[in-house]
Amino acid sequence: MAISPDRLEISRLVHRFGFGPKPGEYAALVASGLTAARNTILNPPAVDLGLQSVVDPAPTDLGPFPTPNTPAAVTFAQNMRAQNADLVAWWLDRMVLANNGLTERMTWFWHGHWATAVGKVEYALAMKIQNETLRKYALGNFNQMASTMLQDAALQYWLDGNQNQKGAPNENLARELMELFTLGVGNYSEDDVKALARALTGFSVNRSSAVTTFNPAKHDSSILTILGKSSIFDPQSAVNLLASQDACSNFIANRLWFRFISTSTTAPDSSISTAFSNRDLAATVKVVATHSAMKDPLNSQVKSPVEWFVSVAKALKITPSKLQNRAQVTNYLDKLAQVPFAPPNVGGWPYDEAWLNAASAQYRLAFADFLIKQGDLSPIINGTGDPFQQLADWLGIAEWSSRTKQVLRTVSGDPARTTLIAICSPEYVVNG
Amino acid sequence: MDTISRRKFLQLTGASAIGATATQLSISDIAKAAVTRPLPLGTPIVVVVTLYGGNDGLNTVVPFNDPIYKSSRPDILLKDTQVLPIGEDLGLNATMTGFKSLWDQKKLAIVRGVGYPSPDRSHFSSMAIWQSASPKAHVSSGWIGRWLDSQQHDPFQAIGLGSVLPPLLAGVKQVGSVLPLGGLVIPTGSLATDCKRLSLPSNSDSRLQAAAAVSMKDLFSISSTVTPILKRPAPIPDNLPSNVGGNFGSDSSLSQQLDVVAKLVAAGSPTKVWAVSLGGFDTHADEVKAQSALLGTVSNSITRFLSQIHATNRANDVVVMVYSEFGRRVKANASHGTDHGTSGPVFLAGNRINGGFYGDQPALTAQISGDLAVTTDFRNIYGSVIEDVLSTPVGQVISGWSSKLPLIKGF
Repeated sequence: MAISPDRLEISRLVHRFGFGPKPGEYAALVASGLTAARNTILNPPAVDLGLQSVVDPAPTDLGPFPTPNTPAAVTFAQNMRAQNADLVAWWLDRMVLANNGLTERMTWFWHGHWATAVGKVEYALAMKIQNETLRKYALGNFNQMASTMLQDAALQYWLDGNQNQKGAPNENLARELMELFTLGVGNYSEDDVKALARALTGFSVNRSSAVTTFNPAKHDSSILTILGKSSIFDPQSAVNLLASQDACSNFIANRLWFRFISTSTTAPDSSISTAFSNRDLAATVKVVATHSAMKDPLNSQVKSPVEWFVSVAKALKITPSKLQNRAQVTNYLDKLAQVPFAPPNVGGWPYDEAWLNAASAQYRLAFADFLIKQGDLSPIINGTGDPFQQLADWLGIAEWSSRTKQVLRTVSGDPARTTLIAICSPEYVVNG
Repeated sequence: MDTISRRKFLQLTGASAIGATATQLSISDIAKAAVTRPLPLGTPIVVVVTLYGGNDGLNTVVPFNDPIYKSSRPDILLKDTQVLPIGEDLGLNATMTGFKSLWDQKKLAIVRGVGYPSPDRSHFSSMAIWQSASPKAHVSSGWIGRWLDSQQHDPFQAIGLGSVLPPLLAGVKQVGSVLPLGGLVIPTGSLATDCKRLSLPSNSDSRLQAAAAVSMKDLFSISSTVTPILKRPAPIPDNLPSNVGGNFGSDSSLSQQLDVVAKLVAAGSPTKVWAVSLGGFDTHADEVKAQSALLGTVSNSITRFLSQIHATNRANDVVVMVYSEFGRRVKANASHGTDHGTSGPVFLAGNRINGGFYGDQPALTAQISGDLAVTTDFRNIYGSVIEDVLSTPVGQVISGWSSKLPLIKGF
């Protein structure tokens, strides 16, 4: 039987732009029709009531590292670990509990884009502030996001911006700003990197308080030429210049295409980059989500480990921070190679096939078993009617394969095993 | 950023799309192949070691007496007491005691000033150039992949350690295989039965859903009769110089990868090219400690690997090559680190290697905008490996190649 095109597209919408459905949500979206489903998914409410129960961990300034091998150092390390664990749990809770998942999903995308890792930054406060910035602008204005990120303490520290001083530039931030954050390879020269590094000099970062300070006396205010424009730049005017380039429109459009539609094809038209031309991210994301490629059966995408976990938690009504032995969540995510706030490098997370290997299959099974033991399986325990349809509707799957149906049939009396097979099936691990 | 890994590179080059057609071999597949059709003794084997992030060549093979070296990087300077002199006023980073002993045994070649015309300082672009061996035109195939194209099809011929295919193993017609690391716990009982059924192909699967099913199948294809090869201890090094004994048994991922390679080479896996890697060389800040630790890992892991191989009957077969996507700027930055640069040294090690220096050390008096000149084109090293190790005409694999280097001994 051919898959209903609307079921497939709505499954993609709800997973890719919202971390998957809560129980009952997918069937309701399908019943409402594609247009209404798009409207629901793509228009988050001003206040999301689902988030009211999420407690802000409010990490504090832990101050500088104490002298090693002192009692103070032990307390400090414990506090730092606890703050970082709370931060991860807080964000996972938000992803799972938001009634509309779009804002958290876009925040997640931008975290991978401006990929900053706690491994180097260390302090939860700085990571939290960056996360709030990404959330604030996730569906806002890209130029404002870029401007704010330029002064973000975590990003500055991560890319050695605090070490980039007049007379002794450090190019790390300048290069990645052009290559990975705004323009993409091939849209700037080596001289542009050197000049931009000079234009970005003068910042200092207090890592524990997450305060970035610009000191004009340490800024190189020579006349510099960046992307053909000669001027005395301050860091803001330099980043504005990058964000206003046409190359930036194409680059961000390509990144959105890559992460939301397909990693193996490129956009066949310029609709996304055109939508991005005024840097309005909400409007641009709508163009991505309503692109005709969303219907194309070829454009399946693998759920990354966090995306898989959040979709499972939503279906099973699990609040990550309330799980017994919640540290296991981070352990499993670490085994699957994706922990929030800890991207492997500034290029962000891998994609698709990278998440599919024997080891990840094994850890996914073990993780699923852990979650099912604490999850709410009532949608299939109490369900009536066609069990395949119920299961597909619960999890937001367009259609089961004959292979998976056959396995599900053999385990039909066992809700836990049924759920395990369903959430570890190729149809669930890979979104249509 | 403190770590540049292959993932970052793979992500941006789209290499894992190529990887879709790569065979994911299970350890048992390889072990079976080793049992049923072992690589004939005397067949040369290449182990390619990729250092991700851009290794600072000047603090690896150090011109420790050069006044310009001293004045360019006073804060990250390695003094004469911090290097192991190897002649021509050069010294190895003092952590590289293993490489020094290989050098003394004339089993280590150091090719100096290696790069390509018009160096690209993007990690991703430059690594793509090194892995494709195509500095000008963008080519999506890798140099070992094109060598595979010239061979009869055999999924065991070239294997990358890890879960994603490195682009150097992707050919036009054929691709190498990947071997994920890490111990696996296989489900048992009825769960195993269910999961095996779940791993069957279905004609409604998308390309990626089919790959997901294969990954589950792979989990089960490790049978109890063949996994013992990997459970066996690695070959015991028989000629390990005592002065490099201290740091072995580290759990660094490079030594883990090479341990697996050593076991499978010893078992006779019909594999002629292995690809392993180590990340973390992007030392924009506080370079000395970080880079020295990494170079110690490289030197110790490879020296131990060669000693393990020495304990087998394939000691004369294995050649190890070590490269990174670029060297770093001559002048230190203000963060006790260095920014992206141009040329750097390439190492080749093994009994088959004519030890010694190749290529000119780029003169610090002749910098190009603060960067080292390129004195040796990397394709000339590849040419030597393709022709003198893998016995394949270079022209089929690499274009823009000018001459080989006499790196490889005949046997």
